[in-house]
Amino acid sequence: MSRFKQRLARLSMPGPAASTTTVVEEAPAPPETPPQTPADRARLERIATLKSRLNDMVSRRKAELRTARPDPAEVSPRRGWGRLPRGAEAELAPPAPVRALDDFTGVPGALEDTPHGPIHIVRARFDLDHCHGHTPVGGALRVPAAEVARLALDEELLGVDPTRALFLDTETTGLHGSGTVPFLIGLGWFEDGALHLCQLFLRRLGEEAPMLAFVTERLAAASCIITYNGKSFDWPLIRTRYVMNRMTPPPDPLHLDLLHCARRAYKKRLGGVRLVEIEQRVLGMERIEDVPGSEIPAIYLDFIRGGTAERIGGIIEHNAHDIVAMAALLGRLGERFAEVADDDDPRDLLSYARIAERAGDEGRAADFARVAAERATGGWAADAWMLHARFARRRGDTDEEHRALVAATAEADDDERLGQAHLALAKLYEHRLKDLDRALTHARHTRWIEGPTRHQKRVARIEAKRARADAR
Amino acid sequence: MSSRTPAFEGERRIPWRSPRGIDAALAAWHQGKVWRSVVLDETLPARPAQMAALPESLTESTRKALAARGISELYSHQARALELAAEGRDFVVATPTASGKSLCYNLPVLEAFARRDDARALYLFPTKALSRDQEDGLRALLRDAGLAHGAITYDGDTPGDARRAARQRTGVLLTNPDMLHAGILPHHANWARLFGNLEYVVIDELHMYRGVFGSHLANVLRRLRRVARFHGSDPTFVLASATIGNPAEHAARIIGRPVSAITESGAPAGERRLVVYNPPVINAELGIRASYLKSAVRLTLDLVKADVPTLVFGQTRNAVEVMLKYIRDRLASEERIDPQSIVAYRGGYLPNQRRDTERALRAGKIRCVVATNALELGIDIGSLDAVVCAGYPGTMAGLWQRFGRAGRRQGASLSVLVTSSAPLDQFVAGSPAQLTDAPIEHARIDPDNVEILIDHMKCAAFELPFEADEALGDVPPETVGDGLDFLADNRVLAVNEGPKGKTWHWASDAYPASHVSLRSIGWDNFVIIDLDTDKNMAEMDFRSTHTMLHEQAIYQHDAGQYQVERLDYENHKAYVRRVEPDYYTTAEIRTKVTITEQDDDVIVRRGPRPLPVGLGEVSVVEKVVGYKKIKYFTHENVGYGEVHLPVMQMHTSAFWITVPEPTVLELVTATGCARPVVIDGLRGLLNAMHTVAASALMIDPRDLGRTLGDKDDPEGPASSGGGGGPGFDPTLFLYDAFPGGIGLAPRLFDERDGLLDRTRRLIDGCGCTSGCPACIGPTVGAEAGHKPRRLVTAILDHLGVVRADPRAGAR
Repeated sequence: MSRFKQRLARLSMPGPAASTTTVVEEAPAPPETPPQTPADRARLERIATLKSRLNDMVSRRKAELRTARPDPAEVSPRRGWGRLPRGAEAELAPPAPVRALDDFTGVPGALEDTPHGPIHIVRARFDLDHCHGHTPVGGALRVPAAEVARLALDEELLGVDPTRALFLDTETTGLHGSGTVPFLIGLGWFEDGALHLCQLFLRRLGEEAPMLAFVTERLAAASCIITYNGKSFDWPLIRTRYVMNRMTPPPDPLHLDLLHCARRAYKKRLGGVRLVEIEQRVLGMERIEDVPGSEIPAIYLDFIRGGTAERIGGIIEHNAHDIVAMAALLGRLGERFAEVADDDDPRDLLSYARIAERAGDEGRAADFARVAAERATGGWAADAWMLHARFARRRGDTDEEHRALVAATAEADDDERLGQAHLALAKLYEHRLKDLDRALTHARHTRWIEGPTRHQKRVARIEAKRARADAR
Repeated sequence: MSSRTPAFEGERRIPWRSPRGIDAALAAWHQGKVWRSVVLDETLPARPAQMAALPESLTESTRKALAARGISELYSHQARALELAAEGRDFVVATPTASGKSLCYNLPVLEAFARRDDARALYLFPTKALSRDQEDGLRALLRDAGLAHGAITYDGDTPGDARRAARQRTGVLLTNPDMLHAGILPHHANWARLFGNLEYVVIDELHMYRGVFGSHLANVLRRLRRVARFHGSDPTFVLASATIGNPAEHAARIIGRPVSAITESGAPAGERRLVVYNPPVINAELGIRASYLKSAVRLTLDLVKADVPTLVFGQTRNAVEVMLKYIRDRLASEERIDPQSIVAYRGGYLPNQRRDTERALRAGKIRCVVATNALELGIDIGSLDAVVCAGYPGTMAGLWQRFGRAGRRQGASLSVLVTSSAPLDQFVAGSPAQLTDAPIEHARIDPDNVEILIDHMKCAAFELPFEADEALGDVPPETVGDGLDFLADNRVLAVNEGPKGKTWHWASDAYPASHVSLRSIGWDNFVIIDLDTDKNMAEMDFRSTHTMLHEQAIYQHDAGQYQVERLDYENHKAYVRRVEPDYYTTAEIRTKVTITEQDDDVIVRRGPRPLPVGLGEVSVVEKVVGYKKIKYFTHENVGYGEVHLPVMQMHTSAFWITVPEPTVLELVTATGCARPVVIDGLRGLLNAMHTVAASALMIDPRDLGRTLGDKDDPEGPASSGGGGGPGFDPTLFLYDAFPGGIGLAPRLFDERDGLLDRTRRLIDGCGCTSGCPACIGPTVGAEAGHKPRRLVTAILDHLGVVRADPRAGAR
């Protein structure tokens, strides 16, 4: 019995992974012409060996399934030295396919014939007063272009028409690399008094070209794209897909990445600014039975390998929520950034003040800072008072600056903030209020913040001035 | 004090007043006892330069770059490289160290750049340090040629903006295989400009890519060619290697297609004196020789005192540190030479420490460097006059790479090999003439190693979907198809039956390249932290950590001793504290081999009893069980401690010979020795077989593992330490010391008869009285009351491996 036959015999043993025997069954017929040279023969032998070793891996894996796994204490957990084929290891018992690969029952939407080819599309339409949580999606339409540019701190966006923006969000098979595929491209835009959603779903890997052409077309009609973390994730990924499909990538569109806006506006209050956190605590939205983003790749990859379509609907809903949330968030940001609102958290007000300052709108910044300081409680309140003091100084309002700095020293709860407040007070008393005794009192507290050398110079200078004043 | 006489400042105090130069040192050795232990003294003649004119077709920019270096004609091998490049051929340059190899690949690249502004080249070096070294020189060359193509090193340390420039603009990208594998190929769409215009791929230090690392590289290159083809280019490969036995064959295996070879160097070389010093026997009974480390230190001291800049190679980090300490101590007390002018150079040092050493060497501030093979890697240190190699590096190629570090293009140089008492060293010392006329080892890889190939097929599928009937480099479509089916069955790939045929797509959320390490010793180095300064002082690879950084180990760094106080295995940190012990430590390793799959077996019938011989796949588990404390200078064993570390496991292929239980019983009767003694005799036989196998396969002995176990029960004698009880079938294992194997065991299986006969010849031909490290190894030597060598020959007689007919021994 030849070695190859022996292996066949071993392989045909019934086992949990019996389907893997196809490797052997589909083995191609031997070449019709016999090998000519010893090198050819050696080559063919090597191939035969390789093939049989592949089969061995299969049968060995089956053996491993039957026997107990090695004692973990005995086998080093580190990778590198001890290795098994990893794909095999990761999925020792794959669930059996439950769905024919061309059966898309249960996947929302339908296959549409488009000029670019067939695309599986899920369409939806939301009225402008549809609320995501307590925030209407139509608010986005009321944000003027200039405000968008200020919120984004991006002058390029000054001239864009936000009503013609294209919201874009993808669900992907992984996090990075040229092999990561966006299998669901969600697009949203305003048209005829409604927010239109159009989600392009990839039924099978390898059929991206029509989707990408569709995206190109929508991009051409849009003034800019609006994403959440799209500058570093969604857009580069989509551009990569064009390269991978040998298509010409469209020129980089103007791009409003709401992640950066949200971080500037809400990081102070929320700590984290993932979209779900923004939804819950800014838009007042609580998703029910949402599919966690971290599970999405595995669900889809299971699906395309014949797994259930059950949870695909959940992914599509998740993606739709993300797009609607972006529209709502843009409206909310625009509304709140326009003027001080009574129910705004003072930490948000402080953040708006800083955005306005960076966008060059000092008047608005000062308004936000004042209200933030007055409403603030807790250690960061000192930050609000300090900012308020800065705007007061620029206006030349010395009394208000003084009041703010005193408040800042009262509110500060750590050395850094306290030191900064004392330093500002020391300068104020020395240079403008000309009260050298008080300047000196405050200057005694600045050593930690400005370092010993500069601190000593400051103290010495004030003392010298005071000595001169006394001498007079 | 004014009463000090001038004589006090005379010759005794100022070292350079003593006779200078290599000849003086050699003369002193001739007069003293040293020469009695010299077993080879040969002079290799100087070699004149072979020049060739600059080719007519050479572009103006390349001429400018050469003129800026004062080069008006080329060495013959450089000219040949240009010819082959002009024909568009892949080629390998295998010429000695310092023969101007890098111009062989730089010139064709300059030519390509002069022809095309957007041409690109990719340079691969085995280490980060090497690519950084080449970057400066290459930039200067490009500048002098007036070319705007830049050169950027792309590795883990490259800052963000340089990364962008690397992707968009640079002409030459210098990187290492690991980065290409995990950082570039999986993101190839971002590198479209590089892959779309790639004219040359340069692979330097080709000889480093052997075994598993080489097998991985071959597969990375299969992927590279596939990605380049996708972006529309088909680069030419230029490879450079130190001297190995099979440069063309090896290069062809690496790139998966035939290459032309340039092996004749046109560079001149000065005269080289080659000396082999075999330390004298100090205990004839046990075959113990004087310490080779101390001998090497003494010879080095003589050279340094004679003002000869010297490079000393040790085989391990430990050896390097021990020699450094000895040399510094001796020089400090005897000659008042600044101990800091003697430095160590090894992989464990941080990059900036190594850079300092290189600079000081070039500036001539350093008189002696003690190094592991880190210097083998072609780092430019200028030229030294003498090399002392403490211990045979295991291969001829390795020895010549070390010797190549000495010698100028004019003038004489000295290369000294000091042999240790290890079997292979004594084999070399016994027939030193082979150093100059034996063939050089072959570099071996197995790119079709199934585990490696499958890993890279996953990476390749992530990079680009596979199409039906697609080949992967030299892997034919049908084999690729089998692999794809295997992966699809394991649901790592998804199959799409599209209108244009079947395609296979990566269908897992894992990023495959991050699970595949190109080096058997992984990326996960351990960091060594000095508890006194809280500073990170060095790093060590995963495998060495087990033997060198276990708790209580004495770790040597820059001639200082540190004790490992705590090893944080989870977080890969070792905490050490400076100590002043009078001992160092060496780890004891226990190895267990379990057969997981028998591929072939055959019964060898040489005597009355059958001898089952097998070939198959095994699991090798290594565990560090303890350590010995060895006293400095006397080398006494002064203590023992236990080590508790997780085991290391690998799957590889093995060749084995089983001596069945009934045969063991007969051996006990036939030799009159107790069972444990017979088992020890089998260990001695295994040691001899290992030596023979390593030399027959022309490999580094460390690439071949050996252990005595039981075929069916790995808990046999290896762990109990005794002779094994009844029912135990002692089995002699020789296995590939790389995960997955590199094809050594099958060759041993095929050559099993020759292996047994040559083992017999080695033992019969050894000059020792009753067994020595050179033949049956130290295991048996300690057993009192027996003549171990006679025991082993008796065992062989009984097994039917009889003394060869002297006339037949000529083979």
